[in-house]
Amino acid sequence: MSERRPSVFGDRYQPDVTGDRPPPPGRQALLLAALCVGLLLMGVQLWLLTIALDLYLGGAGGRIWLLALISGVVFVGGLLALWLLSRQPRRVD
Amino acid sequence: MSAERDGVSRGEPLGPRRAGPGRWRAEFPYRWDADDTVGRRDLLRLAVITSGALFAGTALLAVLGGVRGRTRGGRRPIARVGDVPVGGALYFNYPASDDQAMLLRLPGDRFVAYSQKCTHLSCAVYYQPERGRLYCPCHEGVFDPETGEPIAGPPQRRLPRIALARDGDTIVALEEAP
Repeated sequence: MSERRPSVFGDRYQPDVTGDRPPPPGRQALLLAALCVGLLLMGVQLWLLTIALDLYLGGAGGRIWLLALISGVVFVGGLLALWLLSRQPRRVD
Repeated sequence: MSAERDGVSRGEPLGPRRAGPGRWRAEFPYRWDADDTVGRRDLLRLAVITSGALFAGTALLAVLGGVRGRTRGGRRPIARVGDVPVGGALYFNYPASDDQAMLLRLPGDRFVAYSQKCTHLSCAVYYQPERGRLYCPCHEGVFDPETGEPIAGPPQRRLPRIALARDGDTIVALEEAP
């Protein structure tokens, strides 16, 4: 088994069970789809932030709560996806 | 790069370059195994962190918007009715001493007052009665003097309006509302 440096984002590296193999069939597409949807939702969050800034500068700060709530739901959804798609230990044949 | 390293030795006729298989590998070596790649899960984690930062920014604006009061200022006499001719303007400071504002006497003997700060980049806005508009000379923003709404140029938000009341012969400012 070759030595591999841990990821810059602090990934929990498990060389003895996962190796460098790609995810199992079906899982890879799921991961890519989650990535695409997540990046799109991040764009939506950025848009919400610009609307919130516009409302704040316009003095309508009381209506920003709804935007913050939607942004929070997207964030929690991302956390959930990260937890669901976490690397599962499996045997290397 | 020397001629010998380039595959052309001295004395050889110059012609089409020899491009043997894998030559680019020798000239541009790239060690994939030594690279610090970012995996899909790492990218997803980075996206979630960014998403959290965007949420935090929106939530911060919500908190600040809730804390900041919607109206400013208090009851203060600003002018007498006769101080402003019909179609004229009077510039004054309200609600704070460094906040510029303007009192307009529109045709029809109606008084309105706005903050003089342009909602684009805070330049001073002036009344042009001959053209029936409020004009910001910095970026040619134009507002409607009747409502304070932007009608041309870069401003997107209306001018903050100052509520007025008449106390006999005196015009009184009540509060500034966005």
